[in-house]
Amino acid sequence: MGLNSLRIRLAGAAPAPVFVVCGLGGRERVVDLYAEPGLQVYSTPRHAGVLLVVGRLTRGLVAPALQAHDQMASPRLVVRWTAADGDDPGDHGDVFPNAVVAHGSAAEVAAAVAAAHRELLAGDRPPSAALLADIEPAPWQGVGPYGTGGTGMTGGVPFGRPMAARAADRDDLELDQLKLRLGPLLPSLPSGLVLDVALQGDVVQSAAVGDNPYRLYAGDPVPAAPAPGLFERACHQPVRIAELERARARHHLRWAAGLARLVGLEALGVRLTTLSARLAASEESAQAERLLTRIGRSRWVAGTFAGGDLDDAGLAGLGPVARAAGSEEDARTHDPAYRALGFEPVLGEGGDTPGRVRQRLAEAVQALRLATAAGDATTTVSGVVEGPRGRLGRGAPPPSAALVDLVAGVVEGLEWGDAVAAIASLDLDVEEAARHPQMAMP
Amino acid sequence: MAPFGAAATVVVAMLVGAVCVRGLGGLGREGSTAGGRVPFLGGWPPEAHAWSRYHARYYPMALLFLAFDMEMVFMYPWAVVFVEEGLVALVEMLMFIVILLLGVLYAWREGAFRWA
Repeated sequence: MGLNSLRIRLAGAAPAPVFVVCGLGGRERVVDLYAEPGLQVYSTPRHAGVLLVVGRLTRGLVAPALQAHDQMASPRLVVRWTAADGDDPGDHGDVFPNAVVAHGSAAEVAAAVAAAHRELLAGDRPPSAALLADIEPAPWQGVGPYGTGGTGMTGGVPFGRPMAARAADRDDLELDQLKLRLGPLLPSLPSGLVLDVALQGDVVQSAAVGDNPYRLYAGDPVPAAPAPGLFERACHQPVRIAELERARARHHLRWAAGLARLVGLEALGVRLTTLSARLAASEESAQAERLLTRIGRSRWVAGTFAGGDLDDAGLAGLGPVARAAGSEEDARTHDPAYRALGFEPVLGEGGDTPGRVRQRLAEAVQALRLATAAGDATTTVSGVVEGPRGRLGRGAPPPSAALVDLVAGVVEGLEWGDAVAAIASLDLDVEEAARHPQMAMP
Repeated sequence: MAPFGAAATVVVAMLVGAVCVRGLGGLGREGSTAGGRVPFLGGWPPEAHAWSRYHARYYPMALLFLAFDMEMVFMYPWAVVFVEEGLVALVEMLMFIVILLLGVLYAWREGAFRWA
């Protein structure tokens, strides 16, 4: 008895193991979670005890979220991080009837999660029961020469799943091609991205982007439109250049934090996230500038990333991705206020993954320098603004819609690690792509 | 006494192992359902069986390593007679190593060490 209570106390003192489901409007909040010391965010539900649903669940996310829930070991718990005013009525969140509802800042939610997890371990809170039906897709039949339920070792349909089909590989061998549907909750992909890949070993033979889980269907509750960000506002009204450029640097810093996490540098990710919140202070801004410059020059970028070539064609309006490949397009060059500051776009760091990484780091440094130099200068309103992902305004589709279309082409032929890095280097926002008018309400 | 002590250690270790296997086996199974046992791919169940054969490109390098690793075995008897035989043994072993080294250089030229 004493041993058991000691075990519960020790487990409760450790960071709460969390698996995150990023719902509609949850993207930015998820980035902050990684910097919370009271939480350990895992990249698989197998290691987690708490399923943290951030933002609104959409129809496309319900089935994956239920699956992830059941894949957590018992005792488990669901926490929903909803908007500040409490529950979001009418979204699909009611699939988790016993969820704990939390709202507020990342720190407040982290505290609520840790408290709920401690109660769960101590037995004061009932664990969440399995939500999917307990039916084997194809029960063990013990037929066939190897008990595979089918005919033969390389044929048949063991456990209801066909064996991989054969196809030619890069060495002209006829070997198995494993077809997988990855995402939308796979943390190594941008949240919401569904990728149908054909793999041979870890080489991506072909890829196609699946349905966007953030799209809304007829009859779905329509969420309130998110408040326009600084870049959207800058399309219609003058804003301070210092503020705009700081927002750009913040965006790139948070992207770099995600990249650092992706390659296993979690402490660097936390540092970049923390710095991104404090760029208004000159001390932190200078620190961020030094850190980004150092990362850009380090051998880490060239040594970690490879492949992912994109040529200049078809990248119009895609900001850093286009400029890395050699395009000179930047809406800021047409703004007299920027010209007065001596603005010149950063160009041509390279059209591959390391090039795009260096491009974003260089643009973040440039943005911080512009913010320092700008003083009280304001932008000139022209209806078009250079956002952190590309051109915004004049009813143009958001850059993410075009970036999602690049994914399938860029990962083909890469090894899986390079493919993941190449997708990360594009800086997709799948939710933003779903707001594309063509995607709405089929 | 010593053999009994050893036997007792083995028996105790087996008992501990059996208890662990029984105890830990129950841990993972608690609350596990068919929906939760499928591999995690990001939210959707796998549609094809995961058993697939692919070209392991490091295979020639692994074979080469094994082959040349085994050549090292010949250096043990050689080391035993080295003091008696002196310079002759040294020259013979050098010839042996040089011939092997030519083999490594050939495999290198053929690209056996590159698999990415």
